[in-house]
Amino acid sequence: IWVQTRGCLLKEVHLNVTDLGLGYQTKEELIFRYCSGSCAEAETNYDKILNNLTHNKKLDKDTPSRTCCRPIAFDDDLSFLDDNVVYHTLKKHSARKCACV
Amino acid sequence: LEGATGLYFPQNEYTETVYVGQLAGTPILQVHAMLDSDSERSHFYLCWTNPLRRPAYSSWFNLDINTGTLSLNKTLEESDFASLQHSWSVKKLFLLAMVIPTFTRKSQCIRNSPRITLDFVNATMPQCAQTDMKELCFPHRDTSNPHIMENRFPGALRQLRRLTRLNVCPNYTITYNVESDTPAPFAVNENTTELVVTAPLDREESECYRLLLVCTVRTETLITKVETSLDVFVDDEDDNAPYVNATDTADVIISFNRTKGGSFGGLFVFDRDLTPVYPIDQSQNKYVGTLLNNDPWVKETFAIKGTFSEKKAALGGIRETVHDYQLVLKRNLYVTENRTLQLDYLVNDTTYPGLEGTVLLHFNVTILPVHIRFANVTHMFPLARRASFYAQVGRVCVENCHRFDGFRVTYRLQVPDKNASADVQSCYAAISITQAPDDMWGLLYVNDSEVLCRPECQDLQYLVVAEEEHTQLEASTQIHIILDANKASQESQPYLSCAENRRRGDCESVRGLGATTGRCQWRQGTEKGISENYSTCSPDLRTCPDSFCDAVESKDASICPQDCTKETVTGGHERGLRNGIQAGYGTCYCYSERCFCEKEDIPEAKCDDMCKTIIATAL
Repeated sequence: IWVQTRGCLLKEVHLNVTDLGLGYQTKEELIFRYCSGSCAEAETNYDKILNNLTHNKKLDKDTPSRTCCRPIAFDDDLSFLDDNVVYHTLKKHSARKCACV
Repeated sequence: LEGATGLYFPQNEYTETVYVGQLAGTPILQVHAMLDSDSERSHFYLCWTNPLRRPAYSSWFNLDINTGTLSLNKTLEESDFASLQHSWSVKKLFLLAMVIPTFTRKSQCIRNSPRITLDFVNATMPQCAQTDMKELCFPHRDTSNPHIMENRFPGALRQLRRLTRLNVCPNYTITYNVESDTPAPFAVNENTTELVVTAPLDREESECYRLLLVCTVRTETLITKVETSLDVFVDDEDDNAPYVNATDTADVIISFNRTKGGSFGGLFVFDRDLTPVYPIDQSQNKYVGTLLNNDPWVKETFAIKGTFSEKKAALGGIRETVHDYQLVLKRNLYVTENRTLQLDYLVNDTTYPGLEGTVLLHFNVTILPVHIRFANVTHMFPLARRASFYAQVGRVCVENCHRFDGFRVTYRLQVPDKNASADVQSCYAAISITQAPDDMWGLLYVNDSEVLCRPECQDLQYLVVAEEEHTQLEASTQIHIILDANKASQESQPYLSCAENRRRGDCESVRGLGATTGRCQWRQGTEKGISENYSTCSPDLRTCPDSFCDAVESKDASICPQDCTKETVTGGHERGLRNGIQAGYGTCYCYSERCFCEKEDIPEAKCDDMCKTIIATAL
């Protein structure tokens, strides 16, 4: 039986390094992988309770964090030359594995 | 006398092509050796690096002992080609040759045996009609350039004819001659078609001769000229004595730099010969130096370090050697040491055959003592009463301290009046002094900011004592901390790290650790992209960020992480040479040691519909 996978998934997009918005001036490109999708499947009673308490305004101003789809491992470092021929290395810039945490 | 021979091959590689069907006795190529005198005779042999493992094909060839002509011992058959391993259409056969002045039975190669590479083609030699003129004149793949030793006996160095093609076109007449742009002592012996060097060469005059070899092919109807260029290099030998250009004496004054390994006063010795660096064990033109002083104090204190480099002479562009001799300290000198002396150093060009192969160098050395003293008698430092813990008050340093090397001066604070009341004594806890291990400056900083607020602590005077580590020489100066009249409110607010603040408003309202005015200061960067002038919040913009983690900043990671962080910075940035952020994108801020640089898109105040209505109404 073929079941469509839903929820938190690893996706990828082809970008220029300049698209990352980190200020580097370069013509180099990369594959950027990211985690996205719903984490509804991973919710526990804890999340349900928090949801109810927030909804009923029992928790003053606090809005505690909910389960969310995040990388649990990162891709290898990315090194590139910028337009002034200086090397830069990006660490923990792209996801390798995703999970609801 | 073995080893005295000057016989050598001017070329280290020979190449030719051989074909199936070539008859026994056919000449293939000729090797040449350069002689040292008219009476010398060369004897050529094929040789092997390991005579027990000579290849089977070696018996196909014969090298004429007197002429150096390589010829076939047997007619090359197709089965000969097949007897060689691998199945390519061309097989390479390698032979080695050697030359000695006498007869020998040994077939073990001696040094620098040239390699003969024969391309064995599985086909018969092309007929005259199929042969290009170029092929008749010159081997199509000959990249080997001749090398001739300078100052040697002239003679033949290369056979120009392709011996394998002698009989391919019997009706053609082939002659060679040599041309060059500048006068060059080269000619072609018309009888033997050998390229001949006609006179001894001098490398110091010309290192390379660019020759044009012209081959003229005459048929009954046509004269064709084929040209190829040939570079002949002149090898060097030690035939020039060392000399000094202007002076053989260096005056050296040693004062503030007294460190072991410090070098002083270079003297240059020139030599028109080359000094090879490879092979390493070669001794040609290498100099041997001797320190002529026998005083044990001199021997344990000084050494002469010689280095050499190659440069091109201004006239003619001929390469030559420049030796640089420097006086080097073998130990740290004490600050009190004070004397003058002369060092004599004899430089000897050991491979120069003449008499005048030495140069005497002199170093006139004056060692001056270093006085540990302060330039100013009194230092005044204004300080705000609101200054925070770790705020920098100022810097002190003994005279010329930034030039010191090889000894260390440390600073300490002393309270001038030891009989004062306990209350006054406690005021002196306000200030401390610190110093980085590699720095000669003493940094004064606030050690207790609560004390500064106390009204009874007004007149803070200290004595700064500088002490040299080995000699215990001391100097002192008075410092006067002038507190401003502003009455500081006793704030109960705790100290925060300035670097945590990402916006100007937050920054300037925070009581930051290390802040000289009590409040953090904001630096607004203006440049786009990753810049050294990034926006950031700092306790004192004079010292942070300045790309240097000073002695006070290194006391606590929260004072100036922009200069001191050792951790990976997140966002667009360039790291500092040691620690810290050299350049950042947008605003850099840090939580403890974790720093981030990012450009915040502060939304420009857009005029929405409501706004437009208001403006319209106002107009």
